[in-house]
Amino acid sequence: MTTADEIAGSLGLEAQPSFARRRLNALGRFVVTQPLGTIGAIIIIVMILGSVFAGQLNTVDPKTSIREAGPLDAPNGDNYFGTDRSRRDVWSRVLYGGRPTLLIGFGAVAITMGAAIVLALAAGFLGGIVDVIISRLIEIIIAVPAILWLLMFTTAIDRSVQTLMFSVAFTFTPIAIRLFRGNVIQERSIAYVEAARVIGASGGRIMFRHILPNLAPLVIVAASITIPAAMLAEAGLTFLGLGLEPGTPSWAQDLGPSNRPYFRLAWWLVIFPGAALALAVLAFNFFGDSVRDVLDPRLRGSGLI
Amino acid sequence: MQAYIIRRLLLVPFTLVLISIIVFIFMRAVPGDAADVRCGAAGNFDQQCFDVVREELGLNENKFNQYFKWLGDIVLRGDFGYSLSQRAHINEEIGKRIWNTAQIGLLSIAFTLLIGIPVGMVSAVRSGKPSDYILRFLAVMGLSVPSFWIATLVVIFPAVWWGVRVAPDWVGWEEPLTHLQILAIPAFIIALAGGGTIARIVRSSMLEVLRSDQVRTARAKGLRESAVVSRHVFRPSMIALFTIIGLQFSLVLGGSVIMESIFNIPGMGLWVISAVGERDFMIIQAVVVVFATWFLLITLLVDIAYAWVDPRIRY
Repeated sequence: MTTADEIAGSLGLEAQPSFARRRLNALGRFVVTQPLGTIGAIIIIVMILGSVFAGQLNTVDPKTSIREAGPLDAPNGDNYFGTDRSRRDVWSRVLYGGRPTLLIGFGAVAITMGAAIVLALAAGFLGGIVDVIISRLIEIIIAVPAILWLLMFTTAIDRSVQTLMFSVAFTFTPIAIRLFRGNVIQERSIAYVEAARVIGASGGRIMFRHILPNLAPLVIVAASITIPAAMLAEAGLTFLGLGLEPGTPSWAQDLGPSNRPYFRLAWWLVIFPGAALALAVLAFNFFGDSVRDVLDPRLRGSGLI
Repeated sequence: MQAYIIRRLLLVPFTLVLISIIVFIFMRAVPGDAADVRCGAAGNFDQQCFDVVREELGLNENKFNQYFKWLGDIVLRGDFGYSLSQRAHINEEIGKRIWNTAQIGLLSIAFTLLIGIPVGMVSAVRSGKPSDYILRFLAVMGLSVPSFWIATLVVIFPAVWWGVRVAPDWVGWEEPLTHLQILAIPAFIIALAGGGTIARIVRSSMLEVLRSDQVRTARAKGLRESAVVSRHVFRPSMIALFTIIGLQFSLVLGGSVIMESIFNIPGMGLWVISAVGERDFMIIQAVVVVFATWFLLITLLVDIAYAWVDPRIRY
């Protein structure tokens, strides 16, 4: 018995590396060619692990005050990042505070991409009245600054993580639709779509089985660059005191009105949560840029993302 | 071209009416209204006060009548009505506040371009050199570090270290220098994010033009590099900016809402934030309609300018 590899070898062809091997090679190439993107990815992973396993990382309940500590204690061996006015541990608040922001960043972008793909396929592929209606809706949403949409949502519904996730997605979806729609229209006129139609494929099949896979790189790039923007949108609203419920540990919350009077006395209150938020956004942006360079360099500086 | 402008202008009121409907529905879905806030503030809810206030504010009327009265007043008389909690005339308030927000907006668009275009150009011309890497890194920093954090740091630390007040109390044009300082600092902080975005776009579109045939021809005929850049590269690479400048205006308005609250500037943003607390949806409705009108007209102007700068564009 001869295996496929031996036959290939005897014909002078190189053996195909296995699937896992190819993935590993691609990862290695990414690390070598995109050092900043790799650093970004590492920071992202550390931050996700830090907020997921916050309970195991020498933290206390971020919402209750510590008996032994005083108010506004400077960073020390017990409270690495000091304490706030209510004697709560800032280290714990920073670790737990990553949860809502990261969750909203990922969740909002997942909703955005799902909705934008379906609507962009409908607008670009079906055209006609569907396209007109979707384009008008996009115009309406974009005409009002995102922060006003967000505060209308949180005032009318509630200030939960889910509502914020949905409303952030609502403001980003039109931008993503615009980006995808152009590509759907380009793809529609390429011969493979016509070929699929000739063999009798239905509209839905052409949209989801033929055009959608060709949008994949664009969607991945758009997603990785929208995550930091979504995190900033939520942070801005929470900072104003109109986002997440007061008291929820969150980076932007701790930078907001409730702590503001104490920043002059306690630099650690403003430095640590702010640096965590800035670092997270920065890491996502570096990672997103690298993903774009690898997957679709034409998108560099396209403006929308 | 003329037909296009007319068609776009006709679409503006259509879009605005749809926005007004959505905002109205949103605001009527808010649990609790200004009457609750006014009559329940002291902890003990006063039913008599509640009934009187609701009647006085016209909140007992049918929702359709409320909407059409509101829209009719705006369309026919340009009258946004009275705010619910302060009983102030909204038009007067807007008249006082809109100019402050507009100044921040225009200043920060100016700063955005002043930061973004030179940084992007230098980065493109020196592409691959250390200065390019440093500028690109700074551009990503600018669009990543949250503007409200920068603003908070700028307000706090100079005061703590050197006793310098970066954000003086609000004064109008009576004291022009202080007034400008109050407006310019937040405008500049907003512009850091936009400047980073613009720098990246300018850099990549300039690199594209630098690789084009017409630039090779210009170099081949012996033109100095500075002349090549200023005459053959600058204009075509600026065209990419027009596609995103409309979105920048929207971001600047959003940024202004945050900055007004940090620097205590009596503009539209600070007003809308306090209106949320008081459940004063007349103010929120008015601010949304004003901002949307503003945005739609500016994007229309930008699109017309786009066609004028780039003769290939025909609508």
